[in-house]
Amino acid sequence: MWSVFESIIDYIVNMGASVMLPVVIILLSLIMGIKLGKAIRAGLMIGVGFVGLGLIVDLMNAQLGPAAAAMSERFGLSLSVIDIGWPGASPITWASEIATMAIPIAILVNIIMLVLRLTKTVNIDIWNIWHMTFTGAIAYVVTGNFWIGILGVVVHAVIAYKLGDLWAPLMTDYFELDGLTVPHGTSAYMAPIACAVDELIERSPKLKKIDISADTLQEKVGVLGEPIVVGALLGTVVGFLAGYPAQEALPLGVKMSAVMVLMPKVVKCIMEGLFPLSERAKEIMTKKFENSEFYIGLDPAILLGDPQVVTAGLIFMPLTLLIAVLVPGNKVMPFGDLATIGFFIAIAVAVHKGNLFRTLFSGSIIMYMTIWIANQTIPWMTELAVSTGSTNGEHMLAALDQGGSPITYIFTQSFHLENILGLIIISVLYIGSFVFAIRCSKKRAEELKKQ
Amino acid sequence: MKVKVIVACGGAVATSTVAAHKVVELGKKNGIDIDICQIRISEIESNLTGAKLIVTTSNVKRDYGIPLVKGMPFISGIGVEKTEKAILDILKQ
Repeated sequence: MWSVFESIIDYIVNMGASVMLPVVIILLSLIMGIKLGKAIRAGLMIGVGFVGLGLIVDLMNAQLGPAAAAMSERFGLSLSVIDIGWPGASPITWASEIATMAIPIAILVNIIMLVLRLTKTVNIDIWNIWHMTFTGAIAYVVTGNFWIGILGVVVHAVIAYKLGDLWAPLMTDYFELDGLTVPHGTSAYMAPIACAVDELIERSPKLKKIDISADTLQEKVGVLGEPIVVGALLGTVVGFLAGYPAQEALPLGVKMSAVMVLMPKVVKCIMEGLFPLSERAKEIMTKKFENSEFYIGLDPAILLGDPQVVTAGLIFMPLTLLIAVLVPGNKVMPFGDLATIGFFIAIAVAVHKGNLFRTLFSGSIIMYMTIWIANQTIPWMTELAVSTGSTNGEHMLAALDQGGSPITYIFTQSFHLENILGLIIISVLYIGSFVFAIRCSKKRAEELKKQ
Repeated sequence: MKVKVIVACGGAVATSTVAAHKVVELGKKNGIDIDICQIRISEIESNLTGAKLIVTTSNVKRDYGIPLVKGMPFISGIGVEKTEKAILDILKQ
């Protein structure tokens, strides 16, 4: 009986993520008490998102990849691996073997920490559990040990909920989001670096006085800041720099516009599929922990409308490309994350209380570190993508968002021990920044109390 | 007639999907046929034509010339009724 069951599971797993994922989501939805029709629709929708993503990642790699390589060759650069961004990395993570275990585990870790009073963050955002899952999925792919993968999810989850506690005062004083916090995502785990930079600047009498803020850049930039135009510009410019004639460079521009516009439309399907489940989880969590003592943990997207974050995001689009050229030996061509670079620096903006001058400093360090780590994780990221059937392995892949995460890197490298110097440097820089982050959080909480 | 409502968030993937679901449901309950335009915040300006309302899941301070309601409660679950009322008031005008 058991062997029949086992071979059925094997049979489904072998059909790949676009079949396995819907089946798992349908089952999970049914267990949570969602009606059969709705559950089937949700499951299939995830499959649709996954199939759509495969088409777009292929288009991006097959078209932009060779152009970036040709451009690099002509100018003595090394940018040959395309950044698929969080819209590419998140579905690949959801398709990993660890993903279905990760959702209940991340929720369980949260509940245990809440009951033991180790955190005040109540995470009701199921989508962003993908960040925690990513650390586990990468560690599993690299070490081949399933339990190290699970441990990766747990460790990342613990850090995320603690980050939620740390940033809560900044959510209140800068973003005016009382009772809310953002525990996950790139800006939450990169902001400790901004805290260190902020204290260093405070110590310099000259730099301390400079305060720039600009609300109106978005209006001036107009459509130039829109993803559809960013894609066209980047594709065309890279095409010309690669030595393509206009007949090839312009179509490349339009194709990259298509990638920018279509990417969220297909990834959205995965969120649609998770919707019934995440609504259910939200109901359960808010019922149990609903009072003013807790912070509700939400998606970093709620920070991306702030004018200073918008402005910084616009500035960092070209700046990130420049940094990518400056990082020695960098192979990663920033692309998939470019339109939403604000995700990396949103909380840094709050750390600096909207002072753009300081955000330029900390943001540059954040992007430098992200790009450096993303280079280290190219083989890991590619292996994960191949193991989930998202790509055939012909082209290498990179992802700034989460592929460039110090948490993922430090955790996985600790078990892999292939670049010990890199491990030590990133660990010292990153863990050191946390001291500043704790101080910053305490200071802001005290300022709030005084008011 | 269909009413065009823009629902925007940072990446047009996660929070705006949730908010869009809620706005459509709200419309159905009140007999309003809603046409959702789900986009990133940076794309609002180019999609304004014909829109009656903007719902964002983020703190947008810019004035686009049409009513803007903050849809944060749809994500956090706190203060949903107030937000629903604000949206209905605008759509029923």
